[in-house]
Amino acid sequence: MTIENKKGWISWFNPFKYGTDRWMYALHRLTGIVLGVYLMFHVVETSRILEGAVTWNSLMVWLDYPFGPHFGPLILSAVLLAAVYHALNGLRLTIVENGLMLPKPYRPEYPYKPRSLRGLNNFLKIFLGFFMIAISAVGIIYIFTGAIL
Amino acid sequence: MRESQIMFIQYMTGLLILVFGSFHFLLISALAPTTDKVLYSYTYLNGIRTLAGGTLYYSTVKAVYTSLMWGSVFELLLTFLVFHIFNGFRVILSEQFPGSKAEKIITYSVLIAAMIVFIWGSRTIVLMLNGGL
Amino acid sequence: MQEIALKGFGEVVKTVTFRVKRYSPENADMPRYMEYKVPVQRGMTILDGILYIKEHLDHSLSARYSCRMGICGSCGMIINGKEKLACQTQILELGKDLIKVDPMGNYEIVKDLVPDLSKLFRNHQKVKPYVLREEESPTSEYLQTPEQREEYAMFTDCILCGMCLSACPTNAADELYLGPQALAQGFRYISDNRDLGFEERLNVLDSKHGVWRCHFSGACSEVCPKGVDPALGIQLLRQLLTENIFVKHKQKGTTRGPERKSASGVS
Repeated sequence: MTIENKKGWISWFNPFKYGTDRWMYALHRLTGIVLGVYLMFHVVETSRILEGAVTWNSLMVWLDYPFGPHFGPLILSAVLLAAVYHALNGLRLTIVENGLMLPKPYRPEYPYKPRSLRGLNNFLKIFLGFFMIAISAVGIIYIFTGAIL
Repeated sequence: MRESQIMFIQYMTGLLILVFGSFHFLLISALAPTTDKVLYSYTYLNGIRTLAGGTLYYSTVKAVYTSLMWGSVFELLLTFLVFHIFNGFRVILSEQFPGSKAEKIITYSVLIAAMIVFIWGSRTIVLMLNGGL
Repeated sequence: MQEIALKGFGEVVKTVTFRVKRYSPENADMPRYMEYKVPVQRGMTILDGILYIKEHLDHSLSARYSCRMGICGSCGMIINGKEKLACQTQILELGKDLIKVDPMGNYEIVKDLVPDLSKLFRNHQKVKPYVLREEESPTSEYLQTPEQREEYAMFTDCILCGMCLSACPTNAADELYLGPQALAQGFRYISDNRDLGFEERLNVLDSKHGVWRCHFSGACSEVCPKGVDPALGIQLLRQLLTENIFVKHKQKGTTRGPERKSASGVS
C-alpha cells in the first residue's frame, strides 16, 4: 500500500509552483488546525468562570501577560487573523466549491490558462482580501488599544 | 450518511459560524455590557496590578452569560463549531491515514473528542445561565 | 525562406546540467541524483536532453516517451519542481543552467523517471468512463447536438498523463483518493446527455475518498498540459451532488436516431 514516491502532507506547505489557490489551500488547512486547537483550549479556559470572580480575574490577567508584556494580545491577534482568513476564504470556498461563480465548460486554448482559477474566483479573492485586511486591522487595533474605530 | 450530506452540513455550519462568530467578536468589543470597552482595564492597588474592568472583567462576562439570548447564541455557536472543527479534523486525518480500519478508529475517536468538548462547553453555558456553581 | 528558418539550427547555444533522480527498485539502492552535462541546441526539449544523455552519456537512464508532441501523455515528469510534459518543455525557455528532473510524485516508480500509472488507470476505471445505457447492443446512434457536446467537450481532451495526480495535495497523502483525472472524467460522462449512469457512479464519486476530498487547491488545473481544467469539472460535479441531496438528479438520456439496416450503412 505504501508508495515510495508519495509526497506526503509536507507537500501541502510547499506550494511554490502552483499559484495562489494552492497557497490559500495550505493556509486554510493550517488556520483550521490552529483554530480547532484554540477552541479546545478556549472551552477549557472559559469553564474556569464557574470557579468565581477571583479565579477568573487572575486567569484573565495571566492570559494577558502569560510570558511577558503583550504576549497575550499577540496570541489573540494571531487567532483573530487565523479566524478572519479561515472565515473569508471559507466563504469563497463555499461559493466556488459548489460550482457557483465558476465558468461553464469552455474550449481550452493555448497557452491553457485554467479559467476556474481566474475570473470571478480571482475577483472573490481580491474582494474578500480587502475585507480581511480591514477586519483584521480593526480587530488588532482594538486588541492592543481598546479603540473601536 | 452520504459524504455529500456531511459536507453540505460542513458548509452550512461554516456560514453560520461566520454569522454567530461575528456576534461573539462584537460581544467582547462593541456590544459588551460595560462602559469601558477595552479587553483589560487595570488599576494599581498598592503597586500590584489588578483587573478592574473591561470586557473580560468577571461581572461583565457574567452579565453576558446570564442573559438567555447570549447564552443561546453561545450554545448554537458551540454546536456549529464542534461539528465544523471535528468534521474538519476527520477529513484531514482520514486523508492522512486512508484505509477502512483507520477510518473507523478516526471516526469514533473524533466523535468522542467532539462529545467531550461539546459537553464541557455546554456545561459552562448552562451552569452560568443560573449564575454559576 | 528555408535557410532563414534553419538559421542557427544545430548550433550549441549553451551547456546545461541535468540533475536526474535515479532509482532502481530492483537493485534496492537508495534514490540518488546524478548530474549530466548536456549541450543544448535551439529547439531542444527536456525529452531531447534525456535522450541525449541516454545516447551519449548513460545508457542505463530510463524514461517513458512515445509521440514527442504532447499527444500521448507518456513523458510527464517533475521539471524544476513542477509537473510538465518533457516533450513540451523547451530547455532554453526554462532559462536555467541547472535542470532538476524528478519522476512524478505519488506513484510507485518502475525505474528512474518511469512511474507506475496503474493507480491512475484503476481510478479512471472506477468511475466507468463510458456511456452507460440499459441497451446491450444498440442498433443506432444516440442523438446529440453540437451545443450538448460543448457541455463536456473540454474534459474529453484528457490524455491520461497523470500529472494532476502528482500535483494534487490530497493525493500526496490519501492513496485511496480518486484523483482529479477520474473525477473530471466522472463529470464528463454524467453531463453527457446520452448517459444514464449517474446512480451507478454515485457510490464511487460520493464516497469517503471521492469528490469531497478535493479542496480546490487548483494544482491539477495549473499543471494540466491540455488545459482540461479538472478542478472546474470537480466543482461542477460537486454542484450536481449538492443539488442531488434535495432534488434527485434525473438524467433524461437522449433518444436514438433512425435504425441502421446494416453496419456497412454507417458512414
